[in-house]
Amino acid sequence: MPEFSKQLERLEAIVRRLEAEDLDLDEALKLFEEGVERLRAAREQLAQAELKVKKVLEIESPS
Amino acid sequence: MGQSLDLFAAASAEGAWTVAEVTRRARAVIEAGLPPLWVRGEIAGFKAWRSGHWYFSLRDKSAQLRCVMFAKQNFMLPAPTDGMQVFVFARPTLYEDKGDFQLTVMELLSTEQGGLWKLAFEKAKAALTKDGLLDPARKRRLPPFPRRIAVVTSPDGAALRDIQAVLARRWPIAELIVVPAQVQGAKAEASVCSALNRISRLPVDVLVVARGGGSVEDLWAFNSERVARAVAAMPMPVISAIGHETDVTLCDLVADLRAPTPSAAAEAATPDRAEVRIKCDVLGQRLARALRIASKHVVERLDRTGDRLVSSIQNRIERSGALLTAHSARLDALSPLRVLGRGYAVARDADGKILKRVAQLPSGKEFRLRVSDGEVDARVQ
Repeated sequence: MPEFSKQLERLEAIVRRLEAEDLDLDEALKLFEEGVERLRAAREQLAQAELKVKKVLEIESPS
Repeated sequence: MGQSLDLFAAASAEGAWTVAEVTRRARAVIEAGLPPLWVRGEIAGFKAWRSGHWYFSLRDKSAQLRCVMFAKQNFMLPAPTDGMQVFVFARPTLYEDKGDFQLTVMELLSTEQGGLWKLAFEKAKAALTKDGLLDPARKRRLPPFPRRIAVVTSPDGAALRDIQAVLARRWPIAELIVVPAQVQGAKAEASVCSALNRISRLPVDVLVVARGGGSVEDLWAFNSERVARAVAAMPMPVISAIGHETDVTLCDLVADLRAPTPSAAAEAATPDRAEVRIKCDVLGQRLARALRIASKHVVERLDRTGDRLVSSIQNRIERSGALLTAHSARLDALSPLRVLGRGYAVARDADGKILKRVAQLPSGKEFRLRVSDGEVDARVQ
């Protein structure tokens, strides 16, 4: 799953474009669908309940 | 309790004391009779040995005392300089190897403004300033939605617990990477530097360096120039939360953000999940509305296009009508009937041939004459 901030940035860009530009219905629909998908993914990430904690000793090598 | 000293007791068969016995006894007397005490004086002949031990004299106008401060006592202290007025808390003793009366110093405080710490702090701060490391323009912005948050702190301190609690509440989307370090004591400086070095190679979005409150000695590692430089060199933004709000350390000064407490550092590092949820809801609403508006635009455009189509056809029809009228007017003007209407007549022979000249009309010739409303038979006389 993409990084949350990227997800949200893309969603904002989509909304701005939909709001500002006079788009073909086809294109508007495509953007809308992507926006809905990004929103769903973002909400899913937000729903994550538990904080993951790692001690650095467990991840010696940079990933 | 003091040891009794019998100066007249023979210490050897010859009736004389050995040097070692005298010094040993004298040391015992001194240590028994002079408990650890605070002494005030001026530093002179200061010398730090490679072993880490410090040797110097304390003096005033009329006397001086040899002093030693061992590495295990002074490791956290900035070195004093000759001429400095200090207080020492020391145990008077006798150094038997040399027979010197001396003070074993356990604590050393400068009487000057802020003491030794202040002095060392200002010195390091000046060095950092000179290298531009305290320039406000260096401060980086914190990432709005961090994915990985690293923390350098004591693995079992309250600071880590506080940070973890705040992150779990506000932004559990992130991954917390704990890099344990010794945050006080002789190894703290090296331990913190090595933790920082390790993190600098990890994909981390923001780093929190935290330590709970403590004495100026406890916070020493975070006032070390080495740690400050390591913090300044971190590739990601650093939030520093060292000690209480009133203690400003060098680490705080070079960090991109200084937080008053470890909890505050964790708050600064993260967005609030509840707020982000609201933000997402708003974006969802805008998305839906934008689509509605976009589709409305399309429908309107379709309508407009239809209107244009209709009106363009109408125009065309009207134009054709006008053309037709013009053409028929011209046709009408050319019609021979129209000429006849003005009083002219056409003469034709029996074959319908038009008779235009006198030669075609000899006397007695019969012909037909076409006038505006019909034909009549006629004859030339």
